[in-house]
Amino acid sequence: MAQERFADVVERFTRGDLNGDLRFSCEAAKQWQEEFDKNVKRVRNLTEMVLNPTSPKVGQTPREEVYKRNKSRLYRYASGRTHRTPLLFVPNLGISRPYIFDLLPGGSFIEYMTRQGFDFFLLDWGVFGPEDNDLGVEECVSRILPRMARRVLEVSGGSDLSILGYCMGAPLSAAFVASHPECPVKNFINMAGPIDFAKAGLFALWLDKRFFNVDRFVDTLGTVPADLVKAGFKLIKPTMDLSTNLNLWWNLWNEKYVEGFNALNKWANEYVAFPGEFFRQWVRDFYQDNKLCRDKLVVGGRPVRLGNISCPIFVVGAKEDYIAPPECVRALGDLVRSSDKEYVELPGGHISLIAGRGAALHCWPKVAAWLAARSS
Amino acid sequence: MSETSPSQQLFEMWKRQLEEGAKSWAQLMTKGAAPAAPPPPDPAGFWWKPMFEQGLAQWARIFAQTPVTPELMTQWKQFLDQSIEAWSKALSQAMSTEAFAQTMGKTLDQWLTSQGPGKRMAEQSVETALQAFNLPSRTQVTAVAKQIAELEDRLDRLDDGLAALARRLEEASRQGTPGSPAR
Repeated sequence: MAQERFADVVERFTRGDLNGDLRFSCEAAKQWQEEFDKNVKRVRNLTEMVLNPTSPKVGQTPREEVYKRNKSRLYRYASGRTHRTPLLFVPNLGISRPYIFDLLPGGSFIEYMTRQGFDFFLLDWGVFGPEDNDLGVEECVSRILPRMARRVLEVSGGSDLSILGYCMGAPLSAAFVASHPECPVKNFINMAGPIDFAKAGLFALWLDKRFFNVDRFVDTLGTVPADLVKAGFKLIKPTMDLSTNLNLWWNLWNEKYVEGFNALNKWANEYVAFPGEFFRQWVRDFYQDNKLCRDKLVVGGRPVRLGNISCPIFVVGAKEDYIAPPECVRALGDLVRSSDKEYVELPGGHISLIAGRGAALHCWPKVAAWLAARSS
Repeated sequence: MSETSPSQQLFEMWKRQLEEGAKSWAQLMTKGAAPAAPPPPDPAGFWWKPMFEQGLAQWARIFAQTPVTPELMTQWKQFLDQSIEAWSKALSQAMSTEAFAQTMGKTLDQWLTSQGPGKRMAEQSVETALQAFNLPSRTQVTAVAKQIAELEDRLDRLDDGLAALARRLEEASRQGTPGSPAR
């Protein structure tokens, strides 16, 4: 075939008579109309977001404060309480606020668990200031957690309790369970909680003692400011904001998506500072020396041996978790003495494991079913 | 005539024009220059070339469909998602090297070196100014907050002790023996 002129092809393309397959069909016209409507909605919702930003109403599941100590609070959620064993949920300390677990009605882990009949208690560590700089891992594990557990038993009237640790809350509560055998823990769940810090991915590398001087860091700054915590988490996935905003634009026509986005965005931009001493111990003992995994950790004068844990264990890892990679989460199963132990690896990342549509589909029912079978 | 669709042909034509145009421009720019020296390798090519080629391939797929429908937008979104994912992977690889961790550690150290004295000076100035106005400084307010927290902690311990004592007494009375005093 002789070389065609570019203009010829364009002309035929616009005339639409080339092979007859470029005709603007009714179906295509209908699709374009739908696309146009979507774009109108996108512009309308964007205008609304910019001109009338509303603060999403998060954490709507009814609850009451049953105990407080300094900044920490223990909340009990309203539920049918069909399961005898109460559940204490221990989330991360610092970094972010715990309302992610009760984000919106219909998309809330706490709401789901209470509907399943669990007597649900949430430990909110609080928002720390310079006055909390002396708070360390030791105080959390050997003073705050035992009191919270005791209060759960008192308030619920139960003789034992289940503990669910998420993210940093998992190693902290695992250390508590291992070092306080007198506390009647019936079941322990680790959700995306790092245990073997040698396999903790990018954070383990960046916080390696060859590259990161934690003493100098804490001595200079005192409290680890929220902005610095935010910078660290943004750096671990630098393209996150780009893809979030692209997805927002793509789904901006959908009011339900926008509502969820607003709530999640509020949470994702509300970082919490770390108390200086806690950060020092957390980095040195857990990330740099991996003491929890090596049975070298001592809290309140008690050695922490994960091998002392003998209650049923459920470990949940997320396939795309870059904060607590699955291999560092699943290590708990190999270190405990329990005969009843199970590990599942679910799709999603560190947050989407427990919050969002995927979590409601894959994670929550599994956790609830495992726990329900062991809570009567 | 080949079996390719007209939009595919249009795309191929556009691509050819682009390539030939780029070649002509390159020839024009290098005209008169010494022919012996080969063009220097483009280090940035490592980054943009795969993206550019991926983009071209995606456009080729988009134009290959007839008639043109909003599916085109979906495919474009998919392309952007894939590109972001590719960038994310590349950046992750770069950031998971010891060289990156070392550079980051050094940068942080330098930042702390510059921050430390400035922070101390600013804190001292603020304290002096507050003292001059007979107002409590941040350090003093923090100290009061710490004392309150300690007081709360002591109360809690007292509470724990009393609860333990009450439990022992209860157990002792259940067993019908006199309770031994709590230590």
